[in-house]
Amino acid sequence: MRNVVLVSASPKINGQSVSREFLEIAGSQINTDVFSKTFIDVRKSILTHNLSEDFETLSKADVIIISFPLYYFCLPGILTRFLVDYYNYYTVSENVKNHIKVYAIVNCGFPEPEINLEAVRVIKSFCQHINAAFRFGVLIGGGPMMFAAKDAPFMKKAVQKLNNAFSSITADIKVENSAKTGHVYIGVNFPFSRRLYFFMGNRGWISTARKNGLQKKDLYKKPYRLNE
Amino acid sequence: MKALLISDQEYPTKTYQALNDLTGKFLKHKGFDTDMIELEAENLTFCMGCFGCWIKKPGECVINDRMAQINRSVMNSDVVIYLSPIIFGQFSPNIKNIIDRSLPNMLPFFETRPDGSTMHPPRYDTYPRQIILGYGDEISDEDKQLFIDVTKKHRRNIEVLIYQETAENIVEVLNKMELGRVGGIL
Repeated sequence: MRNVVLVSASPKINGQSVSREFLEIAGSQINTDVFSKTFIDVRKSILTHNLSEDFETLSKADVIIISFPLYYFCLPGILTRFLVDYYNYYTVSENVKNHIKVYAIVNCGFPEPEINLEAVRVIKSFCQHINAAFRFGVLIGGGPMMFAAKDAPFMKKAVQKLNNAFSSITADIKVENSAKTGHVYIGVNFPFSRRLYFFMGNRGWISTARKNGLQKKDLYKKPYRLNE
Repeated sequence: MKALLISDQEYPTKTYQALNDLTGKFLKHKGFDTDMIELEAENLTFCMGCFGCWIKKPGECVINDRMAQINRSVMNSDVVIYLSPIIFGQFSPNIKNIIDRSLPNMLPFFETRPDGSTMHPPRYDTYPRQIILGYGDEISDEDKQLFIDVTKKHRRNIEVLIYQETAENIVEVLNKMELGRVGGIL
């Protein structure tokens, strides 16, 4: 049986992780009669010092799917650390599988999926360093909102695209020498304007801050330059 | 005039040492009062994506470690230079932690950049001139370009240089830059 390892790299340990949710949807499409599935949570792995065990799991993988949120237009620091440490493990380990297939699922809070591209390129570069075959990325814009509103009628098209993208991963995994596939870009397909998307997002920050006892003006504090 | 030089001690190569010396001397020669921060892995934890710096304690990271002092130093400098090893075409883990955890210096809201993409607006009216200097041995052209694109495609107020030739070239480029505070353009 071939091993699929699903890596969730959201730095959040408590609360809902959109990256983990996307990964679980992708993982649910993989046939367990043919593939064994193992989940790795990068944050838990680092916090519980479980790296050696998880690196061993990765080293035996035939397929790796990495899902993470975009942080400052590339990988979160926690995933950067995990991949660097895995690379160091890879360079000294003798029993690592080569030519494995790797996929990236990257989501961001901004509506444009294209801004995830550099993060996908980083995963591709990582693959070149570990002699793995990077296949393609699923780049998701407006990820948190897409997940929160996934059952809304206006989200139907985006959710369908998402399922198709994950089906493409499943299909690509099965084929030994499949043709190169391009990245899949999925944005929030709102029936209304970008301005409204911004309005909803901005209002969300203000209402969450109010729940913490803050007023709207408090969000604009300048603690390090009081005179500006 | 204040400058801050942030570097990553995790990769203590000859290039690292040479660049640290070179940029330190350059800033001194330019008359900057320079603070140097040499990071080690245990100095900073990861950004945990809690957004506490926006909705609990606006402008300040809620994690109690060295980052509060670093953000204060960054925001009160005229120039900040980050020396980052180039790893898989992006920053080293320690430098990435610094970048991720500079989020308090931005506002949570959405704004459109001139190219039509989205960005969080600046919290402050002015920021230090920020320069990222990437380096490494045997870096592919693809990774060098990626290192530039990660920042330059998305942020207009940060300069990115790659140390790949001689010290004189880097000094020449740095000499051409205006080294002082800049507006918070997106």
